[in-house]
Amino acid sequence: MEEKVLTEKESLELISQMIQATKKNRAVSPGKELLYWGYFTSILALTIYLLIRFTSSGIWSWGWMLMFVFWGFSFFVHKREKTVVTYIDKTIGQVWQVLGWMFVITFWVVAIFGAIYGREDFILMMPLSLLYCGLGISITGIIVREPWMIYPPLLSFTICFYMLQVLVISHYATNLWNLLFGLSFVVTYIIPGHIINKKSKVKC
Amino acid sequence: MLRDLDPLLHSQLRLAVVSILMSVEEADFVFLKEKTNSTAGNLSVQLEKLSEAGYIEANRTLEGRRTRTVCRMTEKGRQAFASYIDTLKDYLNVGK
Repeated sequence: MEEKVLTEKESLELISQMIQATKKNRAVSPGKELLYWGYFTSILALTIYLLIRFTSSGIWSWGWMLMFVFWGFSFFVHKREKTVVTYIDKTIGQVWQVLGWMFVITFWVVAIFGAIYGREDFILMMPLSLLYCGLGISITGIIVREPWMIYPPLLSFTICFYMLQVLVISHYATNLWNLLFGLSFVVTYIIPGHIINKKSKVKC
Repeated sequence: MLRDLDPLLHSQLRLAVVSILMSVEEADFVFLKEKTNSTAGNLSVQLEKLSEAGYIEANRTLEGRRTRTVCRMTEKGRQAFASYIDTLKDYLNVGK
């Protein structure tokens, strides 16, 4: 861009042209991230299910802690990729930041109470994670106006309430929960992720 | 009598940069260079001028071996831009 004296009309045109150019980057396409999380979590859920099934050891449930590792990794990668942060990006980021803190708080509350009562049991993390992840996706969908993100989390909520109800009634979780958790990520993350990616390719 | 247009904003590259920054939360040097189609040297100089005037905030961070400059509008910059637009409108109305 060369420096030249602008007329008033040219100034307005330049402003409008720059806003349009920025708008192209605003087409938020969260499809890629949905797929990363969806595939990682579903594969992890299936792996944990199979390991527990064939070894009959609940120790493999600690594998869920890999979610925190993946979270840290994806946060680092995502931050490096960004050259511009729109107001929408910032709002979505803040929503997930709050939800992230909810995960951390839930984890510590469960851990502290487990230590006090001498019974470490993180099973409550599973339905609550479904609730937090579902809420995050749904709110993100509302912000970016993507129906494929708004409604599929209803399945996560249903599975979450089912798990909570089972815990209230029988105080007992089964290995099947791992599969249900994975299934909810297929519906809430993987399917919408592919649809959104396909939509954004068509737009280009 | 018509007010003078803010000379700091009434320059092609600086106005382009400010227009971009007004429509996003923050943008880095690479993004601004790409969108304004400017050279790195010229963009650096203009960003420095906007920063010195307090219109933008430029944060430099080290990422690996590279320095990353992230820019965002300040409140003063937002007000200056709003006032620049008002003045432009006055000029265009007079011309009609």
